[in-house]
Amino acid sequence: MPRMPGDRALAIARKETRQLLRDPTYLGLAIVVPLLLILLLGYQLSLDVKGLLVAVVDHDRSRWSREYIDGVVHSEYFRLVGVLDGAEEAREWVRSGRARVVIDIPPDFGRRLSAGESATLGVTVDGSFPTRGQIGAAYVEAISAQYNQRLLREYLVRHGAGDDRLWPVQMELAVWYNPTLESKNFIVPGMLVVILMIFPPLLSALLIVRERESGTILNLYCSPASRWDILAGKALPYVAVSFLDFLLIFAVSIWLFRVRFVGAVWILAVGALLYSVCMVGLGLLISTVTRSQLAAMLATFLGAVAPAFTFSGIFTPAGSLDPVGRFVSRLIPATYFMDVVRGSYLKGGDVAAYVPSLLILLLYAVVISTAAWLSLRKRLG
Amino acid sequence: MGSRLAAMIRKEWSQLFRDVPILLFVIWAFTGAVYTGGHGVGAELRNYPMAVLDLSRSAESRELLSRFRAPYFKIVGHVSGDAELVRWLDGGRASLVLVIPADFDRRAQQGGARFQVISDGSQSMSATIAGAHIAGIAGRYSVELLEARMGVAHGRLPQVDARVRVEYNPNLVETWFSGLLEVFNQVTMIAMLLAAAAMVREREHGTIEHLLVSPLRSWELFTAKVVPVVVLVPLAALGSVFGIVHGVFATPIRGSVALFYAVTVIYVFALASLGLTIAVLARNLGQAMLLLLLILYPMMLLSGAFTPPESMGPLMRYASLVSPVRHYVDFGYQVLFKGNGLAYVWPDVAGILALGVLLFAISIRRFARLAR
Repeated sequence: MPRMPGDRALAIARKETRQLLRDPTYLGLAIVVPLLLILLLGYQLSLDVKGLLVAVVDHDRSRWSREYIDGVVHSEYFRLVGVLDGAEEAREWVRSGRARVVIDIPPDFGRRLSAGESATLGVTVDGSFPTRGQIGAAYVEAISAQYNQRLLREYLVRHGAGDDRLWPVQMELAVWYNPTLESKNFIVPGMLVVILMIFPPLLSALLIVRERESGTILNLYCSPASRWDILAGKALPYVAVSFLDFLLIFAVSIWLFRVRFVGAVWILAVGALLYSVCMVGLGLLISTVTRSQLAAMLATFLGAVAPAFTFSGIFTPAGSLDPVGRFVSRLIPATYFMDVVRGSYLKGGDVAAYVPSLLILLLYAVVISTAAWLSLRKRLG
Repeated sequence: MGSRLAAMIRKEWSQLFRDVPILLFVIWAFTGAVYTGGHGVGAELRNYPMAVLDLSRSAESRELLSRFRAPYFKIVGHVSGDAELVRWLDGGRASLVLVIPADFDRRAQQGGARFQVISDGSQSMSATIAGAHIAGIAGRYSVELLEARMGVAHGRLPQVDARVRVEYNPNLVETWFSGLLEVFNQVTMIAMLLAAAAMVREREHGTIEHLLVSPLRSWELFTAKVVPVVVLVPLAALGSVFGIVHGVFATPIRGSVALFYAVTVIYVFALASLGLTIAVLARNLGQAMLLLLLILYPMMLLSGAFTPPESMGPLMRYASLVSPVRHYVDFGYQVLFKGNGLAYVWPDVAGILALGVLLFAISIRRFARLAR
C-alpha cells in the first residue's frame, strides 16, 4: 500500500484521539474546566477598584469640610465607612484594614478657604497593596481637583471674573477602544489568553512521559514512525481540543458577556491556532525532557500555569513592568497573543497591524517544535 | 499503632526526598519563581507610555508637558499628525496621546485653553488612574496661571492641597508587595500539588491497593501523606521570605515570624487536605490536575490581592470568605508587612482554622470511603 507523507502521524493522532475519547471524564474536564473558569471569573472578577473603604477625620466641621466630604461620598470610587475622632483612631483603622484611605481635615480648613487662602488636607493611604494605594491617592486627587475648580469658580465670580471661558486650562478626555472603561472588555479577552496558556500544555505534558512510564514508548521507538510523526500525531488532537476551547470561550465572550469585538475573527483564529501549537508544543517539550508524569506536571505548573497571570499582561500593561518583568514578558508567546487578542477585540485595524505578532507566534511555534524534536530521542535509557 | 504510622511517614519522607525533580521544583518555586514573580503583578501607573501632538510649540505647552513626569508618565515620542497618532495608539506604542491645539499659548494666558487627552481604554484601570492624575495636573497648572494673571502670591487662592502620606510602603515599591504575594501563592500551590501528587502516585502505580489491604487505618494513611508537606512547605516559605523577599527585595519584615510560621503550618495542613481529597476523587494525574486548577484559580483570584474584596460583586465577596487563600493573604500581609499581632489577625486565623477543620473532615471521610 503506498504511503502518503504524514500517514503515520495521522495514525498516531487517531490513536491519541481514541485514547482521549475513552477517558470521557478527562476530556469533559478539559473542556468544561476552562469554560467554568471563564464563566465564574468573567461574571464576577472585576478589576475596577470601586468602593474603596475611606474614613474621614473632620476637625473642622464647617460648611467647607462638609462639602468636601460630600464629594467623597458621592464618588463611586469610595465608600465612606466612618467619621473618626482623631489621628490615633485613624491610624488604627488603616492598620486593621477597616479603612484603606483616611482623609484628615485640619481645624482651620474652612477658615482658610473662606478667607480665600489655600488649605492643606492630610491623606493617609495604606501602602501594603501598592496598586490600591496609588489608586486611592489618585481618586483623592481627582476629587480635590473637582472641588478646587468649584472653589475657584465661586471665587472668580465674587471677584468679577466669573466667566467660564476665562478658566485657564481645561482637559478633554477621550477614551478609545473601551469608551465606558469597563473592565470586562479587558478581563474576558485576557482570560482567553490565560486559559489557552494553562490548559493545552497541561494536557499535552503527559503525552510522552506517560508512555515512558508505562513502557509503551518502546512501541513507538520500534515503529517506523519518525520523530516528527510522533510529535505531530500526538499534538494534533490536543491542538484541536485547545482550538475548541478557544471557540467556546470566544462564543461565550461575544454572546454571553457581550464584550466589544471590532476586529476580524479570522485573524484572531489564526493567532489562536498558532498559539495553541506553541502551548501544546511546550507541553510536549516538557514531556520529552521529564522522566515522570509528576515531574512533567510540576514543570508545567511552574513554567506555564504560575506565570500565566503575572506575565501575560492581563493585569499589567507591559510598559509599566520593571526591566526584569518586561524582559520575562517579552520572552513568552502569551504577550504576543495578548496583542492579537486585545487588538482584535477592542482596536480592530487591518491585517498589517497584526503581522508582526503573528510572525513572532509562528517563530515560537517553530522553535518550540524543533526543541521538542531535538529532545525526543528514539533511544532506550 | 505508633510504629506503623512512623514507618509510613518514614516511607513518604524518603520517597519525597529521593524524587530529585520534585525537590528541584519545590526549590525553584520558592526561589526563582518568587524572584521573577516579584517583578510582575501590579496594575498601577508607572512609566505610562504617552505620545504628544504639540501644535502650539510654545512656552506654555512645554510647561504643561514638563508636568507629565516620572514615575507616572513617560513621554515616548512626538507625533506629527492624526494618522500617526492613530498608528501609535493602535500599535500600542503609546497608551495615551496628548493633543495640544495651536492656540494653546494665547488661550492659556487669556483663559479658555483646552488640551485633549486620548487614552487607550483597553487597560481600563490604568486609563482611569491616568485620567485622575491628568485632571490634577490641569487643575494645578490652571491655578498657577490664575495666580499669575491676578497677580496674587502662591497659596493666596482658595485651594485644597491634599498631602498624601503612604503608610507601610511610602514609595509604593511594587516588589515589596508582589514578592510576598508570590510566596503566598507558591505555598498554596505547592501544598496542594505535593499532597495530591503523593496520593495520585500510589494510585497510578497500583500501590494504593497494598496500602488499602494493609493494617494501616485511613487516618494513618492520611497523616502520613500530609506530614512531609506540612513540614517542608512552611520551612520553604520561611526560607523564601528571608532569602528572597527580605534578602533580595529588601522588603521590611515587621511582624512576628513565629506567628506567621504557626499559621502557615495550619494553612498548609488545610490545603494539603484539599489536595488529598482531589487526589482521591480523580482517577489519574491528568484529572487530578484539572480538578486542582478548577479550585485553585478561583481561590487565588478571589484572594483579594487582585481586586479588593469591597470592589467585588456581592456573590464573589461572600464566596471569597470560604477561600482559605483570602484569609491567608490578608493574614500574611498584616503580620509580615504591617507588623500586626494576633489581636488584629484573629478573624483570619479563625477563618483558616475553621476551613482547615472542614477540609480535614471532608478529606478523612473520603479516605474512609476509599478504604471500604
